[in-house]
Amino acid sequence: MDNIEKRLTEENRRLNTIAAPEELEARLRSALEGAAPARTKRISVVWRAAAAAILLIVIFGYNYNAFAFYGKKLLGFDELISSTLQELNDQGMGQLVDRKATLSDGTELTINGIMTDANQLILYYTLTNPRGIDDWSDPPFKPSRITGFLTNSHLESGVSQPNEGQTEVKGTITFEPVSPFAKKLTLHYFELGENNQLIDQTLSFAYDPNQAMQTEVKQSIGKKAQVDKGTINFQSITATPTMTMIEGSLNVDNFDRLPGALDGIELIANGVPVERTGSGHGSSIGGRKFDLRYNPLPKPLKSLELVMKEFAGYQQLDQRLPLASAGEEPFTWEGKELWVKKVTITSQGVEITIATEEDVLLDGVSIETQGKTISLRTTVGQIETKLEDGTILKERTLLFDSQAKPEYLRIKGMHYMKEYNVVIDIPVD
Amino acid sequence: MNAVRYVKKAKKGNKEALLQLILAEKDDYYRLALTYMGNSHDAMDAMEDMIVRLYENIGQLKKEEAFYSWSRTILANSCKALLRKRQKLVPLDDAAMNGKLTEDLALALPSDPYRHSDQQMDIRQMLLHLNEQQQEAIQLKYWHDLDYQTIADMMGVPIGTVKSRIFQGLKKMRELYGGETDG
Repeated sequence: MDNIEKRLTEENRRLNTIAAPEELEARLRSALEGAAPARTKRISVVWRAAAAAILLIVIFGYNYNAFAFYGKKLLGFDELISSTLQELNDQGMGQLVDRKATLSDGTELTINGIMTDANQLILYYTLTNPRGIDDWSDPPFKPSRITGFLTNSHLESGVSQPNEGQTEVKGTITFEPVSPFAKKLTLHYFELGENNQLIDQTLSFAYDPNQAMQTEVKQSIGKKAQVDKGTINFQSITATPTMTMIEGSLNVDNFDRLPGALDGIELIANGVPVERTGSGHGSSIGGRKFDLRYNPLPKPLKSLELVMKEFAGYQQLDQRLPLASAGEEPFTWEGKELWVKKVTITSQGVEITIATEEDVLLDGVSIETQGKTISLRTTVGQIETKLEDGTILKERTLLFDSQAKPEYLRIKGMHYMKEYNVVIDIPVD
Repeated sequence: MNAVRYVKKAKKGNKEALLQLILAEKDDYYRLALTYMGNSHDAMDAMEDMIVRLYENIGQLKKEEAFYSWSRTILANSCKALLRKRQKLVPLDDAAMNGKLTEDLALALPSDPYRHSDQQMDIRQMLLHLNEQQQEAIQLKYWHDLDYQTIADMMGVPIGTVKSRIFQGLKKMRELYGGETDG
């Protein structure tokens, strides 16, 4: 495949990461509602009554087990699961599944049970093999997703642990939440066949959506926060017994220039920060979607606020640093320091080794030599060093295409973690 | 999902069945519309247009199995119709002649999902140097993995024409951009 074709296929891959927006379904539905009927036909009253009767049967028939609520407790996972899940398990919040399959190497897979709410599905499983499971951290069982009616939930995380003799591994896996209309779920997993081939397998089990745990808080936030290079839109909060999820979108030009830009956002419940369990982001139409995951909210809930302590910021600098005086003393601006450690000329060109704090990324870097300006070619050899006071410094070498001794280092601006301290109150009833 | 059963229901005028058929492949339809329209808002407009057309014309669909390729063709036509309508309002063609302006235009699209990707910008700009038919054929083949027959149906031309449009388009891009990687 030549270069052009390769880039076209790369684009295909990028395009495939785009999903249709949430509101599409609603828009299509209302467009259809307005559509002129393809043909009109009078439907007799008898048929209408019959249809109504059938509809009633379907609705109630489908949901008959709404009246038979029974909670189950999953045994043997004590060491594995967090205290939150432990409590929920003790309260019998799980659903027993108990379905088995045999993997190609003879290991028996048992899905013990599941626990579901509006934020996630947690699957409890056991692998047993009396001959021992060779590599328990990489067993032949590789789950990928759960499907069902209106459901296609991908795996999000998992933990597992072997027993002493390594003949049994117990684990939990979390998936995206499943639809409340699903009555049957199918776990898709791969198992390792001969020659390390992955074989696609499925295992289906009954699901009772009525046993899903109730959502405790679900409301829209609808607040925007301005940052230097764009806006962050906090859209909604969904708090369930297993976790609290904040969802939103952002359109910030330098968001991905700094790692962990989302880490500076705290959720404070009753005045105390709720422990963060994860965060994620992905590109989508209209910007970038993100989610922040925290532990479940405390009860009773008196107050709730989101605090954006810091986030990616940008500072215009337009600095012209004389390299002749570079050495022990750092250049300083906005409380951030820049050390120029070494300036050398090699066969590669001009190499300038600098160090800054971890969260500083320079923008628009060039050198000036004999009145000529040469832009940065590339940056190499990044290492991190820790100072005695605990500050982490990021050292790297800037490469310029020039063989002349540079006089000035010019810097247009910098991306850095900036304090914003934006507080968003989330009203609780 | 048993598509044929849903198509039969939809033919009897069942709107929900039609909607479910589309929703089952909504990401694919959406990406296709997005390629034509360039932004999320217009892509959804085109899809609204499509679903109404599908509903009005599904009685004419003879083979139920052909629903997906038939509906794709209608979506492509809806997109082109919307673009034509828009072109009457804004003479985008003139702007597109100027490379710099095109870049600004692409950057200004509020919902452009590719804002951060230089490489993507390049490949889009490279495509702009082709004529519309070549662009469309190449996008359908490489971005949407469609086979030649489907593309021919969608563009309403023989299969040989599609192959030649793709061949000529790629050739032109190679001539213009050679083997360089960076733009």
